[in-house]
Order: sequence, then C-alpha cells, then structure tokens
Amino acid sequence: MTQPVSSVAIRAVASAMPTRVARTADYTYLTPDERARFEKATGIAERRIVHPGQCASDLCATAALRVLELLKWEPASVGALVLITQTGDQPVPATSLGIQHTLRLSHTCVAFDVNLGCSSYPYGLAIVSSMMRTLGIARALLLIGDVSSLTCAEHDKSAWPLFGDAGSATALELDDDAPPMFFDLMSDGSGKDAIIIPRGGLASRRPAGDGPAELETDRDGIARRPDQLILRGADIFGFAISRVPPSIQRVMAAAGIVAEQVDFLVLHQANKMINDTIGRKTGFAGERLPSSLERCGNTSSASIPVTLCSNAKSFSSRRNRILLCGFGVGLSWGTALVSLAQDVILASIDSDHVY
Amino acid sequence: MSIDTFIEKFAFAIEEDPAVLSAETEYKQLPRWDSLNALSVIAMADADYGVTLSGQAISDARTIADLWTVVSSKAPA
Repeated sequence: MTQPVSSVAIRAVASAMPTRVARTADYTYLTPDERARFEKATGIAERRIVHPGQCASDLCATAALRVLELLKWEPASVGALVLITQTGDQPVPATSLGIQHTLRLSHTCVAFDVNLGCSSYPYGLAIVSSMMRTLGIARALLLIGDVSSLTCAEHDKSAWPLFGDAGSATALELDDDAPPMFFDLMSDGSGKDAIIIPRGGLASRRPAGDGPAELETDRDGIARRPDQLILRGADIFGFAISRVPPSIQRVMAAAGIVAEQVDFLVLHQANKMINDTIGRKTGFAGERLPSSLERCGNTSSASIPVTLCSNAKSFSSRRNRILLCGFGVGLSWGTALVSLAQDVILASIDSDHVY
Repeated sequence: MSIDTFIEKFAFAIEEDPAVLSAETEYKQLPRWDSLNALSVIAMADADYGVTLSGQAISDARTIADLWTVVSSKAPA
C-alpha cells in the first residue's frame, strides 16, 4: 500500500473512439447460438474499431486537444505528457514524443511512454500525480489508449470480438485544495503468459525477423501469427475475481471508508461476468457499477476513462467519490480512490481524425 | 454439499439439460463446450462454493467428478 497523493486535482477526463462499428451479431466466426451466449456472458453487443491508418496516438491527441480547449490551457503551460499504451505507433521512438509535437507542447515538457494495459488508469494517475508533486510540475496530461483490434487475428473468437479501440486524456493540475488520491498498485509476473503477444519488437526474446510470420497453434486450438495477441480468458477470470476485490478493499481501508460511502466503482471493462462478480464481492451493483461494455467492448487501457465519459450524465453535480480499478495483462492491477465533479467528465468523442 | 447439487449447478452454468450430465461426463467433450462455458463454471464455483478455480484446473480435470474433487476440497466448511 502506497501513501496517498494530495494536492493534485483531476481537471478533465475525455475519451475518443473511431466511428466504425463492429457488431457481435455480424461476427461470422461464431454461430448464432454462440453469438447469443457470447453477448450474454460478456455484455458486448458492439465496439468501435479504427480504419486502417488511425493509431492510438490519434485518438489520444483528439481527446487531449478537447481537454486543452475546454480548460483554456496554453500548450506551453503543460509540463508533462505521459502516454500509456501497448500499441504505440512504432517500436522506437516513444509515441508520446510525436504527440508532444502534435499538441504543440513546449520543449520543456517531460514526455515518455509506459507499457501497461488494463491497469493503466490507477497506475497512470499515481505516476503523473506523484511526479507533479516531486518535480513541481503544475499541469500535466495523462494519455491512455490502445488500438487492440490491430493486434488480434480476426478469426480468433477468444479475443477479436472483445476488444474496442479508444484513446483518452486526463488533465491534472497542482491544487492545494484537492482531496488526496489513494492508491493500491500490484504486480505478478508469474502470470505474464495469460495475455501476451509473444513476438515482435526489436529486442524481444522473439524478434520479428525477416519474412512473413508462420501461424502457430496455441493449446486453445486457435492458429495465430506470433505477433498477434493470445488471451487466456479462464486464467484471467480466476485471477480477477480472487485478487482484485482485496485491492479495492485495501484502498477503502486506507481511506477509512466502506463501500456504502463510495458513489461509484468504475472497473476495467473486462467482461460482464468478471465485473459483476467483482462488484458483488465489494458491494457494488447497478448504477453504482457503471459499464461501457455493451457499446464499446473491452477498450483495454482506456476502459476506465471510456466508462466515465460514456456515463458522463450519471454522475452527480456535486463531487463524486469514485473507486477506479484496472486489472489484467501483466499480470498488473491496481485501484485508485478519487473525487470528481460531474463537469470534469466530458461526453465521449467520435473521431476518425489522423494527425 | 453433494456432487448431485454440483452437477445441477454445472448444468445451469453451461445452459445444458442436467439429465444429460453425470459425474462421469467428460465435459470438455460436450459438443457445445467452449471457453465461455469455462468462464461460467468458474463464476459458478466462486458464487456458489466460494472457490476460485484456475483456468488450469478446468483444463486439467477430465470429468465433472474430477472438478467436484477440486471444488469440494477447497470449499470453506
């Protein structure tokens, strides 16, 4: 359990998704009976996927520009830009540098990438807020997004129909009056094979090499290129329902509150069965457990901001006490307790813009 | 806690007729068995027995009786 971070306020949260819709009902690699069961178990009816050429950086930049415009922040006033993604524009350099240029941020702006997935939001808030306090950075942007549709084989029914593409931007500012944020951040690399892209990158154990990649058949019987994502859902399920609720409970204990004193629990959008189970174990259901699964699917790293923005009207106009919990690939998981006013959460943006 | 109840709950979880399942059913050979069923069985074991089944446990067990052995040995008394 880490120390709370005080005096950093979340000023705005925005998310952006492409306009192209992929519906579960149209996915022909599942039979109609399988599609119905899939939709019932996962809660996913449709999701947004990029047209060729649009990147996670584009979706994040769109969200970031909306935030800068809303807050009337001069680009030169932003002292840090942190991008969390697993689907950067290229292996080298860090994708955040291109976005720094796109947004016309100053050369004095700290910019770097972090490689995390489903746990990105609590990790990102902790990284950025603590860095702001320590280095005295007044304003920062936390950008989080993935284009997971580009990492999956279309015939891979264990992964392809789950993932939606999205980007997000969260604006943070030093503010002595801001309430403390509480964090619980966890790691267990013994589960690194549960969600993995085995090959690719320049210095990986299995570099991309020359020529086309051969298909490899995994123990689930699905043939994939080794630079495509493998998702072992049953392994993730057991992890999520046993290890995630204690993280949420540790944060509430550290803040000295119980579930009834929290307005909302916003979970990473893994699937409906997982999220309902975590909600049941921690005391959240219905309107206090908002979801974006039905229309957006699992938007990977961006799922928490996407869920906030997709349910923007549900939050009260006073300050809302919200638990934010991400869990999955790594294995990496964490929880943040924050306080947000409704006007901080912007409605989700549709955009196919490429910068 | 009996295996008969477990078979009933197992059948409900995977939306199968309990009459076609028995302790000796090799569940991964069922025509409709897939990874979604695995998730449903894990959810059932958690909700009804307080037991977290791993993906490995689902793939290691052969029959419903094998899985019941795992669940009943881990279930809190």
